[in-house]
Amino acid sequence: MSIAPRPAVHRRWLEPARIGAMSPLGGIVAYGLLGLWAAFVLFPLYWVVVTSLKLPVDVNTGPYFLPWVDFVPNLHAWRGLLVDDAGPTFRAYLNSIIIAFSSTVLCVLIGSMAAYALARIEYRPRLVSILIFVLALVGACVAVGVAGIDWRVATAVALALFVLLARALGRRFPGAVHNGDILFWIISQRILPPVVTIIPIYMMFQSVRLLDTHLALILAYTVVNLPIVVWLMYDFFTKIPIDLEESAQLDGASRFLIFFDIVLPLARPGLAATTLLVLILAWNEYVLALFLSTSRAQTMPILVAAMNAGEKGILWWTMSVVIIIMILPVILMALILQRFIARGVLLGAVKG
Amino acid sequence: MAVPQPAARPSRVEVTASLASAAPLARGEWLDRHARWLFIAPAVVMILIFSIFPLVASLLIAFSRVRLRAGTYSMTFVGFGNFEKQLVGSEQVHFLGQLTAFSPPAWVVVIAVAALLLWWLVGYARTQLTVIGLLGRLVTAAMLMALTLMLAATLLSGGQIGTLGVTLFYVFVGCAVQFLIGLGLALLCSQITRGRAFFRVVFFLPLMITPIGIGYIFRMMADTGKGPFATLWQWAGLGGFSWSADPWAARLIIVVADSWQWIPFIFVVLLAALESVPRDLVEAGEVDGASSWQIFREITWPEIAPVAATVMLIRVIEAFKLVDLPNIMTAGGPGTATESLTLHAFFAWRSLDLGQAAAVSYLLLFVTVVLCVSFFNLVVLRRRAAMAR
Amino acid sequence: MPSGRATSLTINRLNKYFGGNHVVKDLSLTVAPGEFLVLLGPSGCGKTTGLRMIAGLEAADSGEILLGDSDVTHVLPKYRDVAMVFQSYALYPHKTVAENIGFPLKVRGIDRATMERAVREAAAQVHMVDYLDRYPRQLSGGQRQRVALARAIIRRPAVFLMDEPLSNLDAKLRGYMRAELKHMQHALGVTTVYVTHDQVEAMTLAHRVAIMDHGVLQQIGTPREVYESPANLFVAGFMGAPPMNFVRGRIEQGRFVGPGVALPVAGEAGPRDAVLGFRPEDARVVAAGAGLFDATVFAAELTGDVTLVTLTLGEDTVAIKMPKEYEADFDSRVAVDFAPARGFLFDAASGARLPAHLVRAGAA
Repeated sequence: MSIAPRPAVHRRWLEPARIGAMSPLGGIVAYGLLGLWAAFVLFPLYWVVVTSLKLPVDVNTGPYFLPWVDFVPNLHAWRGLLVDDAGPTFRAYLNSIIIAFSSTVLCVLIGSMAAYALARIEYRPRLVSILIFVLALVGACVAVGVAGIDWRVATAVALALFVLLARALGRRFPGAVHNGDILFWIISQRILPPVVTIIPIYMMFQSVRLLDTHLALILAYTVVNLPIVVWLMYDFFTKIPIDLEESAQLDGASRFLIFFDIVLPLARPGLAATTLLVLILAWNEYVLALFLSTSRAQTMPILVAAMNAGEKGILWWTMSVVIIIMILPVILMALILQRFIARGVLLGAVKG
Repeated sequence: MAVPQPAARPSRVEVTASLASAAPLARGEWLDRHARWLFIAPAVVMILIFSIFPLVASLLIAFSRVRLRAGTYSMTFVGFGNFEKQLVGSEQVHFLGQLTAFSPPAWVVVIAVAALLLWWLVGYARTQLTVIGLLGRLVTAAMLMALTLMLAATLLSGGQIGTLGVTLFYVFVGCAVQFLIGLGLALLCSQITRGRAFFRVVFFLPLMITPIGIGYIFRMMADTGKGPFATLWQWAGLGGFSWSADPWAARLIIVVADSWQWIPFIFVVLLAALESVPRDLVEAGEVDGASSWQIFREITWPEIAPVAATVMLIRVIEAFKLVDLPNIMTAGGPGTATESLTLHAFFAWRSLDLGQAAAVSYLLLFVTVVLCVSFFNLVVLRRRAAMAR
Repeated sequence: MPSGRATSLTINRLNKYFGGNHVVKDLSLTVAPGEFLVLLGPSGCGKTTGLRMIAGLEAADSGEILLGDSDVTHVLPKYRDVAMVFQSYALYPHKTVAENIGFPLKVRGIDRATMERAVREAAAQVHMVDYLDRYPRQLSGGQRQRVALARAIIRRPAVFLMDEPLSNLDAKLRGYMRAELKHMQHALGVTTVYVTHDQVEAMTLAHRVAIMDHGVLQQIGTPREVYESPANLFVAGFMGAPPMNFVRGRIEQGRFVGPGVALPVAGEAGPRDAVLGFRPEDARVVAAGAGLFDATVFAAELTGDVTLVTLTLGEDTVAIKMPKEYEADFDSRVAVDFAPARGFLFDAASGARLPAHLVRAGAA
């Protein structure tokens, strides 16, 4: 059988010059489009940097693009925010750092432990126990909300009822859920729009006087990011050869030692990437902070958002400075860790 | 059975032996014995307290009228009152939009969608019928039909869309645009040999930036008076045009800003997926004389489809939660033209109408869960199963 | 818990199911103190599962495991006083050689100085003292193997368990490490259970070999016993390279009758389908008509030290080792000869060895 060779028309443009290369036309199109997109990505960032160096008059009298050519760069906006008006900025910055870092550490620790447990230990909670738990929870909520019973009493009664009933009925109905179901349950928490849960959380923190504190935001951020950590780390842990853990087990190591001394160090790339991702999410989070912080625990996104409200309109130069100081640390870390994220982590987890 | 007697052991190892086995293993014994529960308990307890309990409480609030007083609150049960208000009552225009009589194109679309859904259900019922499968598909179909009817009665018949319609616009139009561009860029980037690392880093930048910042950046970009493209606008005779005053222009610029942030995410993941497609498969296709399109259609796409489906699921889930961009860029305006459901709930909460806020958020949750679970079961799982075969 | 002293290991009617799969069936065996026992069988025969149950990595569904006199069936692995060398070596990639070897002592909270001394001693035993600061990825396969061994011997466990420890090495290194393993086990005198699918390893290393198939223990005995007196067709066919030759036929009226074969049989064997087996090295190829039965030459291959002659006999083929000078034409007629005492008779249906043997023609 013979297949006719392709006609030689346009070969110079459409066929690669040598094996393994692109055709010249394809190369031009590919680099052209990618370059166009790179410009689309980079230009707004460039504009922010340039704007931060402008005086109000430079902004208001029309677009100027090139410092030293179009206009004289000036650190007026930087000085205004970091020196003259340093108090609120630094407080918000510090709040953001405390909250984002604490919640990230907590979240990655708790999430990795759960992910590891789900990857290596078999759980079989009974379906009927879960059902009883939900019923007890609903009962407690109704009792507190509608009947006005003290929440401590309601919680204690509900817990006692749950333990009693679960013990009594657990053996009768053997249906149980597996690790995969628990994993799915934890991951699926991410579907919940935060606005659904935030109102009761607000009331909860209000009743224990934790509103507008670091702790409230740390806990809230930890929970919303937990599904991501469990999801990503589970994938990493299942890829670690189980031989290593069994060997350590025979050598006499406890589960905790195995986890902290063998498993976590081996999952370091995944841990790094997950930490970065969670850190970015916590650092940039807006809605929860909007509900839970008013002044003392105000984070950077809230500070930035509040600049909208000025009477003079938005001070673009100041805004640009704030945006820059907010993204600098993240970009710095992302550049260091981008290889991890780009390749292994997301893909591995996404493949499912 | 005669077993050869072991020779005398070298004495130097004996020291080690006695020491090793004599040492106690008791440290942290209690911890180790309960490790099984200690490992998973923190995560589960956190989720129960801050996710499951609020979910239940929120449902309760959605069925109540809540009055906040200094430090405390009182709840009155009002049944479906809050939901009625949103769906058929005074808030209907806000939530669903301005419902008007169907125009001819609206009829066409409604009938077409109904026919499609019916065809899909019948096709399923004929092949592999299970009770749960049918129920799930019925819920999916009902949700799609309801959303179609809502859009037909508002958008297609000349009425304004409500916050539900706006949210759907952000989710479907936004995600579709992001997927197409993200996939296109990933395909281009996987073809080139030099500079891939550069593009990967550059395209990754927007993901790092706080959405609040992006909101402001794009307000600046879109400013027809002082923005970088002001000269261009003035030349086009649009110098006085304000994006935030026109509903569709405002929605569009929000989708553009959202895409600017999220296309990189899709790009990075799909590029990694493309790079992990086995080279020998593609090479076999090339040797067999397949065209680039055939190679993509027959080899590359089936390989990356599971990843693409999952990445879109993640994107859709997050898109339903969109709130920061509209709040910063337009504050939901003009009117309620760019208000997403989360923003709607937030505004209700800010006016201390907790029952309405909870009802709106539960409606959002309902739509999100039905659509996302449908997408997961009908698309993601199927793609993965196809790959696993 | 006894330790550092050779301990016996007893397994009683051990069973294991994976779902509906009965992977270990009623396994019973005793390992004497200081004995080197090899569990031999094809992959999937249950030998590794058996070993993992001894280690405590899998729970037994029924039966008991005794270390010395103490029942460890339900004891957690870390209290069993057993050490295991994994097929993958299971070295911790982020720890140095010294840290790897010292890990069992570290988890027991041994003080630093003692640990360092012990690590050096253990490393010296496996000739790895010069590599203590390296990481596993910087070592060759054989060196990793030594580190894994050192980590096992450092605590002088009651029992060594080894799961195909040599299978990841190349052929030459495997031969060398085999000899070293044998010497070390002899020197340390630790009770050892060693799992392998390689019958050469089993023959060379073991005091006794236990052969398993489909979860059932087929035969246990010294390598010589197992080789010279196989209990059934499976054992006969598994041991030896090339394996034992089989000729299918029937025993009738005191004769074994096969394709072109008719040999007198003595012993208690009623009429039945039977298999005649003989080892390639026990037989000779002789001129047609001069042997026990005639056959056709299929191929003759010079392997170096011997010439392997393959003959066809009806539908069966048999292989015979001849001196390297031997040559034969394709398709020529020859005869096979061996001492009748070197032939084994098996029941074709059950595979069990028959209490019967061949005799010289005319002697019946």
